[in-house]
Order: sequence, then C-alpha cells, then structure tokens
Amino acid sequence: MLRVLLVDSDPDRAAEVEAGLAATGCTVVAIAAGTEELTRHVRDTGAEVIVCGLDDPSRDELEGMRALHRDEPRPVVLFTEKAEPEQIEAALAAGVSAYVVEGMAPARVRPVIEVAIRRFRAHQALREELAEARQGLEDRKLVDRAKALLMQRHRLTEPEAYKRLRRMAMDRGLRIAAMAGLVLDKN
Amino acid sequence: MPLDTDAPPRPTLRRPVLRTLRLGFVPLTDAAPLLVAQELGLFDAVGLRVALTAEPSWAALRDKLAFGALDAAHMLGPMPIALAAGLTGVKAQVTVAAGLGANGNTITISNALVQELGRLARPLGAASFAALVRRRAAQGRRPLTLAVVFPFSSHNYLLRHWLAEGGLDPDRDLRLTVVPPPMVAQRLADGAIDGFCAGEPWGSHAAALGAGRIALSTGDIWPNHPEKVLAFAADYATRDPESATACTAAVIAAARWLDEPANQAEAVNILRRRAFPRLDRAEIAAAFEGMAEGLPLDAPLRFHNATLPRREQAAWFLRQMRRWGHVPAAVSDSAALAPWRQDIWRAAAARLHEAEPPAPSPPPSSPLGDSPEHA
Repeated sequence: MLRVLLVDSDPDRAAEVEAGLAATGCTVVAIAAGTEELTRHVRDTGAEVIVCGLDDPSRDELEGMRALHRDEPRPVVLFTEKAEPEQIEAALAAGVSAYVVEGMAPARVRPVIEVAIRRFRAHQALREELAEARQGLEDRKLVDRAKALLMQRHRLTEPEAYKRLRRMAMDRGLRIAAMAGLVLDKN
Repeated sequence: MPLDTDAPPRPTLRRPVLRTLRLGFVPLTDAAPLLVAQELGLFDAVGLRVALTAEPSWAALRDKLAFGALDAAHMLGPMPIALAAGLTGVKAQVTVAAGLGANGNTITISNALVQELGRLARPLGAASFAALVRRRAAQGRRPLTLAVVFPFSSHNYLLRHWLAEGGLDPDRDLRLTVVPPPMVAQRLADGAIDGFCAGEPWGSHAAALGAGRIALSTGDIWPNHPEKVLAFAADYATRDPESATACTAAVIAAARWLDEPANQAEAVNILRRRAFPRLDRAEIAAAFEGMAEGLPLDAPLRFHNATLPRREQAAWFLRQMRRWGHVPAAVSDSAALAPWRQDIWRAAAARLHEAEPPAPSPPPSSPLGDSPEHA
C-alpha cells in the first residue's frame, strides 16, 4: 500500500479524490488543507508520495520543499479536473505528472503515480550528482587553502606544496581534501 | 512622441481581433502592467483579445505555460532559466519578451526580531542581521526561518546575496522556506516564520496588520533590479509573432502609463478591483507611491524603464543559481539565458516610438565573484 498525503483546500473534492485513490490501492494517511506547515506534516505522517491539485495554492510550498530543503523531499503527483487530453499529454511530456481524477478509471491512477515516483527518483539522482559536484568544489577550496599555508610556511612552490600534501595524505591513508582539512585545523 | 498623461498612449490598430491570447498572472502589485493594459483597453487597441487569469501559484502558472494551457505569463525572472534547465523536472523553452518592473519586494521581519535588534534602522544592514543570527546561535536558540515566494525567484537570490554579504550561509545558518504571498502575513503573525521576502502589497499588508516591520526592500540590495518578466510559451512567439509583438506593445504602453504620477490613484483602483479586493487601499497604494510604512524607499517599484529585457541582467540571477548549486554545471550560460530576446521588444517599441531605456544600475558584486562557494 502506498502511503499518500493528499493536499487539497476543498474538503468535498478531497473526499472524492481520497475514494479514488483508495480504489487504486493507495492509503491516504492525511488530508492537508494547505494552510498548515507542510514540511512538518509530511514528516509526521510518513507519506511516501504527495497528491495535490494542479491549482492548489500550496503548490509553491511543495516545490520549495523539494528545492530548498535537504530533508527528504517526496514525489508530488498533480491532479486536475478539467484538462484536455492533449494538455495532459503535453504536461506529461514536459515532466508534470497530472491526471484527471474525475472520470478517470482507477486502474489508470496507480500507474501515473508510479511513473511520478520513478521520475522523482531519477531527478533525485541528478540532485545527488549536483551535491557531489558541490562537494568537489568545496574540497578543491580546502586543498587550495592548505597548499597556500604550506607554501608560506615552508617556502615551497605550488607544485611542491601539492606534492607534500599528497604525500601526507597517502602516508595517513586519507583523501587529499581530508588531509587539507587536518593541516588547516592544526594551524 | 509626447506623452499625454490624461489618456493612455494607444498603439495603432493593426488588424481586427482574431484570437484570444491566454495570459496568466499571480496577484501581486507588479502584475500591474498586464491588469492596466486590459482595463485601459490597450490590448483591444492592438487588436488582441486577452483572457487574463489569476493563477493560484507560480508552479501552476509555470506548468500551464509549459503544457500549453497559457500562451503567456507574468513570471519571476529566474523561472525561465529554471525551465530552460529543467530544474524541477519541468523543461520548456519560453521567450522573455519584456520586463514587467524593477524593485518592488520587501523583506519584512517579525516584531520579536525587531525587538531583538533593539532598533530598526531601514534599510537594515546585512552585518546587523548576521550579528543577530550569530548571537542566537551562540545562545543555543533555534535557527531563524525566512520565507521566500518561490525557490527560483529574485526574492530567493537577492535575500541569499544579502545574507551572504553579512557572512551568513543561508543553507546552514538559517532555514529558508517557501510560503505563497497571500499567506506570508498570517504565517509571520503565527510565528511559523520569522521574516519573509515577498512582492508588494504583502509586506505593507503584514505591517498594517501589526505582524511585523519592513526591514528593507530588494531595491536596497540591487537598486533597480529586474523583477518579473513577460514570457511567451515555447512556440508562441514563432507561431504568432504578430500577437506577441502586439501584446508586448500594449504592455510597454501600460508601463509608461503606470510611471506617470497622475495615474497612480487609478492604478491603485485597478489593482484593488482586479487583484486585492480584501486589502485596504493604503496597503496597495504604498508600492505605487514608492513608500514602505510611510517612509520613502530609495529604489521603489518602477515600470517604464524596466521593459527592455536584458540578458546581462538575467545573467546575475544565473550566477546566483550557480553560486548556490541550483544549476548543474552541464547547463551552459547560453542555453540558460536563451529565453531573453530583444527583437520582440524592439518591434513593439518601434510601433510606440518608444526610445531604449537608459542603462540600468549594475548588479551587486559579491566578494567571491559569485563563484560556486559551498556544498
């Protein structure tokens, strides 16, 4: 059973969507009206996926959870009541996961949610690559600072300082950035 | 062409009404050029029928523009970059045909924070705010939460720039979150956030409610920074360049009308009727008057000189997005900035005999040259 947090400011529609989701084998763990703080709500309910209306005012907050917070973002699936079929196709092509709840066969809802989750995971992988790239930059800066310190202290040229730093790292079985951090900490 | 302030400049009629252009906006003061263009009949005058709809969120507006439910929209400056790079999973190539305004956002902080600061001298200095954040950390108190209106917004990047200027790391020393503009005043009053950076009238509204005080405006961080843009859907500008040009001409004419002091009162009426029926007139008027809490701003909301879309200004936002690790290195500058085009603006301006606006103020520089600086 997929644990779903439903975000909808319209209680009547929320009840309908909940029934639709239940019919596809999803458990709606909570319905948020969008006026409360969503980050906490998501954490507290242990939801695996968030289902939200295309026009719900909470959408920017959900985007913010994904873009600004490092704390376990969740995939967001959008539903819309009145999109034309070609618009839904275009939305899916653009990366938006939208589906029509009204009049949509329950059997089709679950696959849409699964596609959204797969896409989300792919996107998360991309984000992790980004984070790694950032870490690389951070490492380089540490190494540069440690090099500068060694150059100044031991009157070395830049390549000599780098060689010394590398040797120190190898002797201790450390990554060069970790060694740079140690050198800077000690001095 | 001399400007008659009693009647809006009317671009010449070019053809009978053919089709409806679907134009979306988020209810904010700087949507004024679109609302004014419609209310004054400037779209009619260029032979365009426009269906202007208020969108409930930036995400909804973006998705509709990306999948063809809107032809054009009022957009946050960094959004076309995020769309070109596919940053939130949605990828689309929009065309930025005009700027919709400069300045116009405030950074508003809670009364409790004002009290902790002791005295609020506007504009609040980055160093004073950073000292407050460090003092709290030293006392073991919870980090502050500041809200912006969307991750890919001038608000987010100008606020981050200001925080970093004070020596803070916005991702470590504070918590940044997103709150939709109509909710910021309430969240501030409830104590869910300690401050926010949002477009007017929401800072003035929060101050009028007594929920907080306006500490500075984004114009204090980068005077006359570009704010929202008029963006056309991916293929719209190539499929119907005539309509895109006509729409842009109407928007330029509206921006010109908006900066005439004699038109302020009517502009406030239009905004109140179309976007903020529940707000007090004075809260809406403040931005047009260039005021915040009764005191003049150094760099107030302006429209007329901000209509020419400038790629070199958008490049500052891209540099910030790189600085904070929001854009992968694989995305080239040229691809990220490709949406900014001046040809539509120039064609539209020629119809209005509109001169090129003076060169804007340069963006603020950062000590580290905006290079990516942290993990």
